[in-house]
Amino acid sequence: MSANASSLSEYLEQLPGTTFRRLYQQPSTTFAIFRRMLPNLAKTIVMAILYMPGPFLLTDLEIWIKASAKREKDQAISILRSLHIVQRDASPTISLTPNFRNSLRLALEGGGDHNSFGVTSTHPVPSDIDVNFLDRYAQKKWDDILHFVVNSVGFSNGPGDRGSNGPKQSVKDLMIRGHLVERRGASGINITQAGFTFLLQEANAQVWTLLLLWLESADAVASAKGAEEALREGLDSVDMLSFFFLLASLELGRAYDTDALTEARRNMLPNLVDFGLVYVPPANARQFFPTRLATTLTSSETTLRSVSAGFAAAGNLNSSAADNASGAGAGESSQDKSAIILETNFRMYAYVNSPLQIAVLALFADLKYRFRGLVSGVLTRNSIRRAVDMGITSDQIVSYLATHAHEQMHRVAASAQKPVLPPVVVDQIRLWQLDTERMLATSGFLFKDFDDYKEYNEICNFADDIGVVAWRNDRKGMFFASKVDQIKDFMRTRKKANESK
Amino acid sequence: MVRAIKGTLVECDPSIKSIIINIDKEKNDYIIEDLDDSHLLIKDVMVAQLKAKLEERLKETVPFVEDDSGSDKQ
Repeated sequence: MSANASSLSEYLEQLPGTTFRRLYQQPSTTFAIFRRMLPNLAKTIVMAILYMPGPFLLTDLEIWIKASAKREKDQAISILRSLHIVQRDASPTISLTPNFRNSLRLALEGGGDHNSFGVTSTHPVPSDIDVNFLDRYAQKKWDDILHFVVNSVGFSNGPGDRGSNGPKQSVKDLMIRGHLVERRGASGINITQAGFTFLLQEANAQVWTLLLLWLESADAVASAKGAEEALREGLDSVDMLSFFFLLASLELGRAYDTDALTEARRNMLPNLVDFGLVYVPPANARQFFPTRLATTLTSSETTLRSVSAGFAAAGNLNSSAADNASGAGAGESSQDKSAIILETNFRMYAYVNSPLQIAVLALFADLKYRFRGLVSGVLTRNSIRRAVDMGITSDQIVSYLATHAHEQMHRVAASAQKPVLPPVVVDQIRLWQLDTERMLATSGFLFKDFDDYKEYNEICNFADDIGVVAWRNDRKGMFFASKVDQIKDFMRTRKKANESK
Repeated sequence: MVRAIKGTLVECDPSIKSIIINIDKEKNDYIIEDLDDSHLLIKDVMVAQLKAKLEERLKETVPFVEDDSGSDKQ
């Protein structure tokens, strides 16, 4: 699963059950979570019990699933429980939570007047607003945001800087609050480790990162001012989240009616416009258009473009914006796509113009010379270490180099039947990263002092089956788990079962 | 009675572990429990500090090797 799903699932998992009950009132939310967050086996289980009149015995479920796949089954059920899709009680049966069941049925069968999948606008659509226009618009907005983050690195004052206006102040504040960048001094802005990771993420993951930051800041407002106040400002994180899922279910290139939205959601539109997720035509504020950034939120399809294409596109912003926006990252010019020559002696020559790309290269290489259209530098232990310290992984560096390798590199590699990048350099980059990882830290809980070995064994095996055990020592009777919620549930049921015996 | 102790599991080589134990000796405020040859339980709040201290120690003990990926380097 891609990075965004994991950060989104982390956010979802810490929500309380009442929040889920509210989320699952919306068929669009229910469907999006079903589609995006569940592994295939979990989907199969949900579909199988969706139309069952009564609870389903867990022992019957076991008959369906091969004994060899017990681990997968336990993990699927664990995910279903943590997302409150199945009841969390300790009964020997499994059943869907009522809201989830009803909403998913509605989503599949249609019907109802929930308007959860948006209401199309009856107003005429201006002819110049088509998919191309929306892609271009979203790209421009999103690139402004990326530019803002990269410019904070401080490589931006070269002759190639095109001086974009940058995102709205509210978006900047959000990124500062989310520690993607930090204020330094009076006006200076400095990128953080989180910011680098953000830069190298896939566009879809970037959007989610920003949306989750927004949700968190809404939560913060709610706890600071009281829920009432926040509600009045339209900042209810549950409603916001289900609105994101609604946007994700809309169709690209269609106009939707703003009147059908609640007032709180209408108030969210300006912010979403700042992110480039929706477009509201200036002439008719009663319509809004979701862009590709919004409609791909819950799909795993290619988003607007991949990471590397994103940098290329952002640097290439003004020169061939039309080209860039034409498809899912297919349109960047050949010059930006294949620009880097990497030699076996760790020297790197890159035919790039844009400050954005040069800034990215400077993250992991010691740049020595800069000419018009060419920078050259060398990869060193220090430069890679610096990058790793900032949170960039060696794999990210290698894949960046590989996707941007110069045509000539491909040609030579093909004729000599060797990999595109010199293996010695790739290995060394990996080794340099290993060098910095002397210890691996996992936060969680250590379980110890069990009453007897049987108790330890049962609980530890359960934890192992749901995949949360990071370390165990059977002789000492201790284990370390990265998550505890379900272990607690399990221990409670186990205790009850023992008492009733 | 079962106990669940909040902390951070640190996995490392035995050599690194001995350095960590050495660092801990000064004040005893990092390690909660010594698990085995390559695992330690560390207080959550101290992890970042421990990482920094470990880096410091390693700089002292491991000689820094100058990169020489080309003799004609400027």
